[in-house]
Amino acid sequence: MPNSTSENTVLNNIVGYQEIVDHQQALIKTGTDHSEHKGQVTRTIDRLHPKRLALTVTEIVENTPSTKTLRVKSVDGNVLPPFQAGQYINLFVNIDGTETARPYAISSSPKDLSYYDLTIKRATPGYVTHYLLDRVQVDDKMTSTGPMGTFYHNPIFHGEKLVFLAGGSGIAPAMTMIRDIADQEKPYHFQLIYLSSYETDVIFDQELEALDKECDFLSIHRIISRPSESYQGLSGRLSVETLSDLLGETSSNSDKLNEKMYYICGPTPFNEACSQQLQELNVKARRIRIEANGPPKNPESIGGWPEDLPATEEVTVTIQGKGSFKARVDEPLLNSMERNGYSTENACRSGECSLCRVKVVKGAVFNPPEAHLRKTDAQYGWCHSCVAFPTEDIEIII
Amino acid sequence: MTDYDAIVIGSGNAGLTAATALQRGGAKTLLLERHNIPGGCATTFVRGDFEFEVALHQLSGMGTDENPFLLRHIFNDLGIMDDLEVVIENELYRMVMPGEFDVTLPADWNELHATLIAEYPEEEESIIRFLTLCETITMEYFLNLPKAEKSNDLDMLNSTCPNYVKYGIVPAKDVINEFFENPNLKTVIGAYWCYIGVAPKDIPFAELASMIYAYAAYKPCHIKGGSQAISSALLESFHKAGGDVRLNCGAEKILTAGDRVIGVRTEHGEVFSCKTVISNSSSIQTYHELLDHKQPPQQARDDMKSRRIGPSAFVLYVGLDCPPEEIGATTASSFIVSERDEEKVIEAMREIAAPLNIMMTCYNLEDKDFAPEGKTSLSILCLQYGEPWEKLSPEEYAKTKHDFANLLLDKAETVYPNIRAHIEEVEAGSPLTMMRYLNTPGGAIYGFDQNGQDSARFRERMNAIDGLYLAGSWNNMGGFQPTYMAGASTARAGLKYIQKVSQQDEVLENA
Repeated sequence: MPNSTSENTVLNNIVGYQEIVDHQQALIKTGTDHSEHKGQVTRTIDRLHPKRLALTVTEIVENTPSTKTLRVKSVDGNVLPPFQAGQYINLFVNIDGTETARPYAISSSPKDLSYYDLTIKRATPGYVTHYLLDRVQVDDKMTSTGPMGTFYHNPIFHGEKLVFLAGGSGIAPAMTMIRDIADQEKPYHFQLIYLSSYETDVIFDQELEALDKECDFLSIHRIISRPSESYQGLSGRLSVETLSDLLGETSSNSDKLNEKMYYICGPTPFNEACSQQLQELNVKARRIRIEANGPPKNPESIGGWPEDLPATEEVTVTIQGKGSFKARVDEPLLNSMERNGYSTENACRSGECSLCRVKVVKGAVFNPPEAHLRKTDAQYGWCHSCVAFPTEDIEIII
Repeated sequence: MTDYDAIVIGSGNAGLTAATALQRGGAKTLLLERHNIPGGCATTFVRGDFEFEVALHQLSGMGTDENPFLLRHIFNDLGIMDDLEVVIENELYRMVMPGEFDVTLPADWNELHATLIAEYPEEEESIIRFLTLCETITMEYFLNLPKAEKSNDLDMLNSTCPNYVKYGIVPAKDVINEFFENPNLKTVIGAYWCYIGVAPKDIPFAELASMIYAYAAYKPCHIKGGSQAISSALLESFHKAGGDVRLNCGAEKILTAGDRVIGVRTEHGEVFSCKTVISNSSSIQTYHELLDHKQPPQQARDDMKSRRIGPSAFVLYVGLDCPPEEIGATTASSFIVSERDEEKVIEAMREIAAPLNIMMTCYNLEDKDFAPEGKTSLSILCLQYGEPWEKLSPEEYAKTKHDFANLLLDKAETVYPNIRAHIEEVEAGSPLTMMRYLNTPGGAIYGFDQNGQDSARFRERMNAIDGLYLAGSWNNMGGFQPTYMAGASTARAGLKYIQKVSQQDEVLENA
């Protein structure tokens, strides 16, 4: 409606006033009060990016002595949201009263959304993996985030020649990518270079063998880093020479190498070594995708760590208006918060997604390179608590 | 006593501004934000080595140190100006219609005259008259019109706002057609329509004219650290003034007693009492979902009947492993068009098909710090209505998004070849991405379609619920400067209201 007083204002002397009023009346005649949009945003977004999923464990398969795959379905029996092959969900757990979470890549095919498979390998020393492998049973209920992450084949620029370097449980996202390509019959070539510690430790050994026979797009190279004496196949650590042989190109032929996209997923040292070797072969950074893999294990060994600060040092963390606790300087802030009953939203727990962002109002934290902070974060004290280490007494707002 | 004087729902530009102005104005304020980071559109995100700007392309209204303009004064009042490093841009934009024309307009009022005249010499006289009109109408619109309106004196209106009376609310397209002959010139001069989101035939001329004048005379700018730098500075100022903020905490209900606001319940079930609520959410969500009434007040329902949900956008955030020269970028802002008729462009925005007109911003062209050394940070986008995207099944969404991204890249590469060959990081934001992060119907980025009647002068203030105010693009113009200004003016209204009810309460207590 035009202003109730507008009939009497000088404004109706402005050229075009009447046309505007007429236009508005025409819109009113054909318009609605938008009640049809009530709840529509939430409905639309929840189908793609729900904040939480309520899940039931429906099946547990032992892949190797150290690895199990948990199959989870939606509690209400509905299909789960679609995901890109390679994405993860962050699984929330309550371990003896401590609420925490860990991200796990989905290993099943995106084609069948009636379930997600989560392939979990026992970590040493480990905490959450032990709980998931030893205590979780069929029919247990769990909560997770929706599928997240940017580690997947992006058709905008990744191309059709794909190489995946997997170490240990890093095979999970490779598995879903292979299954996805097989299901979709996409015109890709997929080369898997898969390192495991022992022959008995090769996750998806038989599945991969079957896929290798069945799928023309797939070539698989298995490498065992600590082989038994009788082992005949490729073994030892991955070297530049081996990698170059497997890729069929040398560093002098980097144009060919740069036609491919390289995905790396495994333990952090493995990721770093693979990336280094690819760069030695003159592969450009833009052709290398590395899946983040949790907070650094020994932050005190990273450049920028305060001099003379032993990893065993304890500091006091105060949560403004809520309480305080003691924490070791080498423990990620988010973990110590959770052990003490505090929390914040989180998902990747590797410094990237920024959901666990908290504000440090007193004291300092150490931010390792894993922390993908925004440029202005330092100015105002924001950090990503999943990879931030309190190096002195701190006060934070959550 | 209430828990708070004011509760602000949402920390978009208007919400952050309102909260900061309220708290600094002495009102005890709680700011609720459903996400983990303040800013709404005004944010950045990190992928690999790149920090991408989400929404800010050219900030208007700042002016320079020597020649400050409206927004700089507002930022000063909010206590954040010292925290911001302003980067002035030297060009308005390059507009290219491949095979037809390629024009770059400088961000300087005199040079703009010279450039346009050099390009279209046969229309020299019209160009001078048109630009003079843009300048005078801007002055009339911002300085004289409010006074004339207040006095309600027709003679004063006619004598102080003669150009506004003749051209101010006439469709911009009509004015452009009246002044110019060359179809290319008409397209070039009207390019900023896409910052409003409706075709020039639906834009009151004063809106487009003031954009042209303000951008050219006061220059477009950018802030170091992107729009997140503004949002973070505002939140810091709010904190320092004693404001409470809850991130990851959306509002679930605005609580009322009859037709008066009394508090807010959060998504976590906490209830806070307050005197006023400023909603930075869409008016559709505010009235239909947040307000605890069975249905919105009649006034709001009537108002919404004349409104149409505005466009969203499809944005590609692109990080390249080469410097801007390598792709041939010469200006921060480029418009690449294949259609002069803006109405046809708008029609195409309602379909998921190759976009007709697109925009590209090269962020590190004017600000070297905006990308790692030797690299390039781009945003390539087109406006798109959300509706066809909402109709996609979840299973077809990802493929549709990637296919559309390729169409956008194809278009960008007609002017800037070799983008694809250098991509190091890319993230695509569809209208559904905007919907996810902005929580707006249709993923609208500018609120409702802005038509002639949406000028504040033709709309009644929504006042059916005492103490409930809307701040943001849904009952004002969209874009950065307008939403900051809307936040500041809503805070003034809120402070006045708080003062009024506080006095009433005092009288009641003393009675």
